[in-house]
Order: sequence, then structure tokens, then C-alpha cells
Amino acid sequence: MRDVLTEIWESIRRNKLRTALTGFAVSWGIFMLIVLLGAGNGLMNAFMTGSEGLATNVMQVGGGRTSKPYDGLKEGRWIDLDERDVQLTGSEVFADHIDQVISSVSTSATVSYGKKHFSGSIEGNFPARQQMDKIEILYGRFLNEKDIQESRKVVVLPEDRAETLLGNEIRDSGARMGTARNTSKSLGISSGKEVHVQDLLGKYIRIGDFSFRVVGIAKANEESNSNTVYAPYTTIRTIYGKGRVVDDITFTFHGLNSQAESDAFEDQFRATMNVRHRAAPDDRRALWIWNRFSQDLQMNRGRNILTTALWILGLLTLLGGIVGVSNIMLITVKERTHEFGIRKAIGASPWDIMKLILAESVTITAFFGYVGMLLGMFACTILDKTVGQSSMSIMDEEIAMFVNPTVGLDVAIEATLVLIIAGSLAGLFPARKASRVRPIEALRAE
Amino acid sequence: MLIELKNVNKTYNNGQPLHVLKGINLGIDKGEFVSIMGASGSGKSTLLNILGILDNYDMGEYYIDGRLIKGLTERQAADYRNHMIGFIFQSFNLIGFKTAVENVELPLFYQGVPRAKRHQMAMEYLDRLGLADWAQHYPNEMSGGQKQRVAIARALITNPKIILADEPTGALDSKTSEEVMQLLGKLNREEGVTIIVVTHESGVANCTDKIVHIKDGIIGEIEDNREHRASVFGTSTIMK
Repeated sequence: MRDVLTEIWESIRRNKLRTALTGFAVSWGIFMLIVLLGAGNGLMNAFMTGSEGLATNVMQVGGGRTSKPYDGLKEGRWIDLDERDVQLTGSEVFADHIDQVISSVSTSATVSYGKKHFSGSIEGNFPARQQMDKIEILYGRFLNEKDIQESRKVVVLPEDRAETLLGNEIRDSGARMGTARNTSKSLGISSGKEVHVQDLLGKYIRIGDFSFRVVGIAKANEESNSNTVYAPYTTIRTIYGKGRVVDDITFTFHGLNSQAESDAFEDQFRATMNVRHRAAPDDRRALWIWNRFSQDLQMNRGRNILTTALWILGLLTLLGGIVGVSNIMLITVKERTHEFGIRKAIGASPWDIMKLILAESVTITAFFGYVGMLLGMFACTILDKTVGQSSMSIMDEEIAMFVNPTVGLDVAIEATLVLIIAGSLAGLFPARKASRVRPIEALRAE
Repeated sequence: MLIELKNVNKTYNNGQPLHVLKGINLGIDKGEFVSIMGASGSGKSTLLNILGILDNYDMGEYYIDGRLIKGLTERQAADYRNHMIGFIFQSFNLIGFKTAVENVELPLFYQGVPRAKRHQMAMEYLDRLGLADWAQHYPNEMSGGQKQRVAIARALITNPKIILADEPTGALDSKTSEEVMQLLGKLNREEGVTIIVVTHESGVANCTDKIVHIKDGIIGEIEDNREHRASVFGTSTIMK
């Protein structure tokens, strides 16, 4: 091994400039590949931030408005879900696939604690919601069965709402894009002594005309359930007189493994529910169905397409470098023909000669490729520190352009493999050429 | 017989077919110091290439130590060259970017001898040829005679059955030529190395014990030259 490296070093040393120029092309190729993949990842991560926290075997159903006349009724009719729909969903009809069914009701109310208050939506919900929406509890607990059975007046507050009630500025709660907001808010608000949100646990806050005890603080989810205050389903239904109407039905399912199966089940479910509400079975607007599984599949497909496209672009860029290496190796072989003749005369086999060229090609490619890869990763880190921290404000919502635009270890390993293969390919033809020259002809060459 | 050639024929087919060797029959014993002499175009270089397994032949048989050398793959040929033959070239053919000792080591490298062992052996051989001080020098820092001695050390290091020397003095002045030929003679006498020298210089041939004259692809007279009194121009040959 050391002998091979010595040989390579001797050869490269004699052609420093040439090797460096060729190496630059390889570095550039792999640099582009890494940066492209990193940027692609950043883009996809930004898209995914909302849904990545959610369980994928969940469907959510809500009321809608019919778009087709059916059963003697005109289109444009509003449809509300009610508790019988919940029962139907959880009944034998769908037992093959549906596991757990919950529903929620919500209302708007003013929430206050001392002098601070805010208006927002209060959602009556079930303990299972925590699993389905992957609600992260920072302090205390989520709702439990006892809360539901006894219709207790308890709430789980999202962290930022809790901060509002305490009059604190919003602290960095792990939300990346909070940075920009924090600075703007902390300029305006000068809060005296800060009270920690944890201290709200066990305290009573007012929601509308009633007192609720705070039992938990949830981590604010930037996208979906950002500012929802959770209370027991039964409590909200009773207090606000919602009757049998529910806002949504959410259920977990199993045994749907492909897009086709998922679509088929969705159609069957839609038809059954639609007919119960006297809407056309194939009316896609009568009910609103959010199938997180198929959405997840689509997201993954989109991600794969993007990644593949970026790989192809990167590899094409790299190809230029590879051709360069191949070219240089051809020149090297031509220059060293006489030397190879000597080596063959004193006992080098064709494979010995081939090894020499291949090893040199792989070494040049791998070394410069590695440099390019490190620079690429460095560039990704810079991207993360700059563009990755900024966000755009669209319709009052903060949207991050890039989230964590870096590549993982897997890409690094793949890129290393690509380099080794590329180096071998680049060296293959020159090496074959070198190994095939007959010794007497090689000795005659100058 | 260490080397045996039976009716060896060789034709080059570059456009006009050129019949270079027209049935060579030759036997060389172990420990002989032979020169093959002939004018340019006589076929002596082709014969040397065949003897050195650098080239193949069309017809006949060639044995080294009883082993038929015919239809070998490149790999086998390389292996035989490596183990059985040591080459000394007119233009030395040392590798320019390797030091003297590295050049001498090279045949052992292709035999897979470990680094330390082959370095030690190469130093031994350089020492025997009086070049120990020059071991770390590159070929372009040495004189012609020194380069040729490095090449001889490289040829000897694998302890081959035959040393093939192709015009070993062709690039040297007369004094150095003399020294190189004496060195070869000494190696032959004292260590029993079988040496075949190809030359067109009668003076060089005269240093050897047996002179094989080749002309137009056929072996002519085989002169016993143990007295080293061959005529300056050789017998029955034109002056070169």
C-alpha cells in the first residue's frame, strides 16, 4: 500500500499544476453536488416542518358544502358533522381499517389571567389527540380520561399563549424562526420581572365566564395547531351548548399500505358518509377529508423527485471533472509509456501497470473530491447560518425559506462512493491502454 | 542446455512481410559468456527480444532450462522475465524519478519482496558494484558508467538464469566500455552468471568466450573465443 502511495506521489509531484487544475474541476463538481443537495434539503425541510410532527396513519374529516345536486336537494348545501357520524366512523362498517375515533368541538373565547388576556379558539378534545397530532407537553400533562368523564374545567395552554398571559416576551422556545420575531417584540415590550410559564401550572385562568385550571403547557407548533387551547371535549360541549354537532372527526387507521389502497378506502368512506348526509357519494366537497398518509406519500414522492433531479444535476457537473481526470491520465500514460516498458521488461504484469494508473486516478479524484465535499458542507453550514435563519412574512405567517439546509452522513458516504467509482471509471481507459502496450513497443517509445 | 532454440522463425508483417529470423538453432550452456554479433538488420535484436521473452516467434521452439517458452500470456511472460532474465540495455533504461537504490529494488517489488528486505538486498548489490555512496542519487546525477552499473545491479538482483545485454557499451566511451565488459566477464567467471551480449562491435564480442555470428537471419559461424583472440573485424564478416 505504501509503495503504491509512493508511486502516486512521485507521479503527482512531477505534474503539480496539471494535477491541481484537474483536481479543481472534480472539487467543483462535488461541491456543487453537495450544495445543491443541501439547498434541496433545506427547501424540503421548510415544506415539511408543518407535517413532520404528525402521525401519518391519521385521517381528519370536517364538514363541507355540497357541489352536486343529489336526492332532490340542490348543490351548495352546508354539511355539518355530528356525533352520529362519529359513531358510524367507529362502527363495524369500517372496522377493517379504522382503529380509534375521536372528535373535537371548538369555540372562540377571551382568555384572561390577571390583567393580561387574549382571544382565541378553545378546542374541546380527547386525550388521544396528543398522539395523533404529536402534541409535545413541556410542563404538566395533557388531558386525560378523568377530565373527559367528569367534564373537568381544565386547560392545556400552548407555550406562547402562556407567555402572553404572563406578559412575558416570547422566548426562544426552540422555534428557529422565532429569532427575527423576538428581536422585534423585545424592542417594544419592557416587561419587569419575568415569571416562568411553569408557574402557571395549577393556577386558574378565566375563559369567558368560567374559571379553568391550567394542567399543562404544550410546545407551540409553528404550523398546524399553533395557538389552540385544549380543554376536555365534554366540558366545552356542555358549557357552550354545542349539541350534537362536532367540528371534526379524527381517526387512526391501519392496513392501508399504498396510495391506491388509501384512495380506495377514502372513496368508500366518503361515499358512506355522503349518503348519510344526503349528498352525492362521489361529491368531493361535501366533506373535507385530510388524509395525512397520502399527503405524506405525495410529499415523499416530491422529495424523491427533487433529490433525484439534484443528484443528476450534481453528477453532470461532476462529469466534467471526471472527463478532465481521464484526459490527464491519458496524457500521463502517453508520457510514461517508455517507463512502463522498462517496468514490464523487469517483470511488471499488465495488472501491475493498470493498478498504478487506476490508483493514481482514484487518489486524485478522491482527494480533490473530498476537499470539494468539505467545502460544500462548509457552504451548507454558512447557508444554514444566513438564509436558513431568515424567514418571509406571508399573510401574517412566518414562513422559513430554508430549514437546516445541510446534507447528512448518508450523502457524504454516497458521495465518497461516487468519487471512488468515478475515479476508477476515469482511470479505466487510460489504464487499459497502458497495460496493453507491448513491452518492446513501449521500450522503443520516447 | 540452459537455452535451446530449435528452428525459430520470425516474420514481421508490417505491410511488406519481412522474414527476419530464418530458422535459428542455438544452444547455450549454463555459465557461458556468449556474444551474438551481427550487422544492423541481421536479426540480432529480434533474436534478443525473443530470448528475453519481450517478443514472440512464429515457428520453432525455445526452451529455457527445459521449459518451453511459447504462447505465454502477458502475465506469464512478465513472471518469467521477472524470475529468469536480467536485462542490460544500451540506454540503461533506468527510471528517472527513482534513485539508484529504488531502481535496483524494482524487480524485487514485482516479486512481492517486503520493503525492508529488498532495500537491504539492493544496497548489497550496489555495494558489490562499488556504488553504495550513490544509492540515493538520481540517474541524471550519475555518469554513463555508473548508470550502467546500476542497471547491472538491477539485472542481477533477482538472481536470474540469464543476463541479456543489448549493446551494453553502445552509449559509453571506450574506457568505460572496457570497464563494463570486464565487470561482466568477472561476474561470469567468479559467480558463474550466464551472460549473452548482443553487439555489432567486434571489440566487445572479443571480450566474450564464444561469438555467435548472425547474418540475414541465419546463424553463421560459432567461434570459440576463450583465448580472446578473435580478429578485430571478426571472421568472414564485413567491417562495421
